[in-house]
Amino acid sequence: MTSTSGPSQPPGGAQPMPGNPPQPGPGPSDAELARMSREDLVTLGGKMDGVEVIYSEQPVRPGSPAERRAERQVAAAFAGAGLSALAFMVIFVAWPWQVETPAGGYDLSALYTPLLGLMMGLALTLVGVGVVLWAKKLMPYEVTVQDRHEGASPEIERQTTAATLVAVGNATGIARRTLVKRSLGFGGLMLGLMAVFPLGGLIKKPGTALFETPWEPGMRLLTLGGLPIRPADMRPGALQTVFPPVEGGARSSDGVAMLIRLLPNQVDEFRPRPGQEDFHWNDFVAYSKICTHAGCPVSLYEQETARILCPCHQSQFVATDGARSIFGPATRSLPQLAVEVDADGYFVAKSDFIEPIGPAFWERST
Amino acid sequence: MTRLARLRKRTSSGLALAVALVAVGIGYSFAAPSSSAQDTGLSVEAMAGQEIYENSCITCHGANLQGVEEQGPSLIGVGEASVYFQVATGRMPLAQHEAQAQRKTPVYDDAEVNQLMAYIQTYGGGPELPAEEDLRDGELAEGGELFRLNCASCHNFAGSGGALSSGKNAPSLNQSSDLDIYTAMLSGPQNMPVFGDNQLTPENKRAIINYVQTLNETADPGGLSIGRAGPVPEGLIIWVVGIAGCVIACFWVGTRS
Repeated sequence: MTSTSGPSQPPGGAQPMPGNPPQPGPGPSDAELARMSREDLVTLGGKMDGVEVIYSEQPVRPGSPAERRAERQVAAAFAGAGLSALAFMVIFVAWPWQVETPAGGYDLSALYTPLLGLMMGLALTLVGVGVVLWAKKLMPYEVTVQDRHEGASPEIERQTTAATLVAVGNATGIARRTLVKRSLGFGGLMLGLMAVFPLGGLIKKPGTALFETPWEPGMRLLTLGGLPIRPADMRPGALQTVFPPVEGGARSSDGVAMLIRLLPNQVDEFRPRPGQEDFHWNDFVAYSKICTHAGCPVSLYEQETARILCPCHQSQFVATDGARSIFGPATRSLPQLAVEVDADGYFVAKSDFIEPIGPAFWERST
Repeated sequence: MTRLARLRKRTSSGLALAVALVAVGIGYSFAAPSSSAQDTGLSVEAMAGQEIYENSCITCHGANLQGVEEQGPSLIGVGEASVYFQVATGRMPLAQHEAQAQRKTPVYDDAEVNQLMAYIQTYGGGPELPAEEDLRDGELAEGGELFRLNCASCHNFAGSGGALSSGKNAPSLNQSSDLDIYTAMLSGPQNMPVFGDNQLTPENKRAIINYVQTLNETADPGGLSIGRAGPVPEGLIIWVVGIAGCVIACFWVGTRS
């Protein structure tokens, strides 16, 4: 926007050039200004900005019954919003909130949350309704037009603006004062690094944690309750979730395994993976419970089909086929835990899992 | 071929059929009476059960409960717990062969179920019904932990059931009686794993039943369960109903201005 005429213009500068937007004529004098009403000032301001009101209409005649009606509607909406907000606070404090459900029925506490939501929603909606009603029913309807120049700004404006920017830059002396420039660069760089630096504390090299689980040779397989398991405890078709006997073993996310006793007819079909022929003990097999796709616990076991299902993405593994993946997004078999029975007749692990459990990561080879 | 030759051929094939039928009939009359004459060791109840068995179950499970290939499994050693679960919940006798037996209105009343249980129990024993009267006599929190570890993966965290492979599903537990749940754990019906008494002790089982039935009796906050299947249906309702409502409201506002 070019400035209007006035004493601030540099002498000899900014002569009207061809292509410049039309300059408004000389403004009113101070005496004229003092006599102007507010409407006149608004019109004058619009004219200085190239804005012209071409149509204006009051939706309701001032003082008419229609105006009073509209005003009452707006006021009712705002008052309703206030009352709803007040009701929200009253309900929040005073309503019975402790959920007590007598058998088969509901009491007032069941309405606590719905009422809170209703009141808050009502309050927000009514504020909106009031504003919309106000704008539509009480405020004047206007159509205005503002002139805009086409294409780029005139050449004179572009050159003067660029020169001003360069002059400001030169005034700081950043180009000449290399000491300041370099020290500023150094300070800025270090400040930036300082902001990023604490993120380094979040990065930890995993070491061998992804390759190992707590299982060690001779460790007993424990139930959630910490009891060891004998073969006779499980009938054919049974599944037992087992944990390593270490501190927090029942909560460890990587050691959890499924001990499965196959049905008699499934024992004949059992085909272990190559190199894992001695991992099972008679009709007992143990597999990691962590899905090789996304790490969900896979314990939907179908005892008749010997299929292990993952509830997250419907991967399916066949327990009689080395827990091979036959359906769904998982591609690797569930790692098998080598088990045997110790001298006291309890199940023990023969070794840790021989491959990383769970989903893929960059460094895993299998 | 002359008419006489055709007539002779038809007569001879009819004669062969008659001879074969008579032979089968005679053979059966030798075999059948001998089997019924042996059943002297059965109690009265078991004999009544045998009658039901031979009317309704024998086609698929075989004359000696040995099972029939492609039809039904052997029932030797399944025990009365399994009979109770399958018959009292109406799953057996099957209405048709499908992915799995569905719960339906029971065909046999309690007395007949007892008779069938007595009969099947004579073949190899097996898990029996619990002696306790109160099957919810267990600690609720422990039941919840055991339920989430052993049951929730298939039956959903609220016992609403869920899908398995190839058209099978883990049924919802909201219609199950205490004894249904107990016998299901004990016998491992169809594809459900078996949870014998050494794996989940009777106390564990009662705790789980207490937990499941407490879930069943709990009213849903807000009054609508939406299948109790968690965030998926709830999100669906919010998207379909809530956002569609907002869009409609937007259109309405647009038409008014």
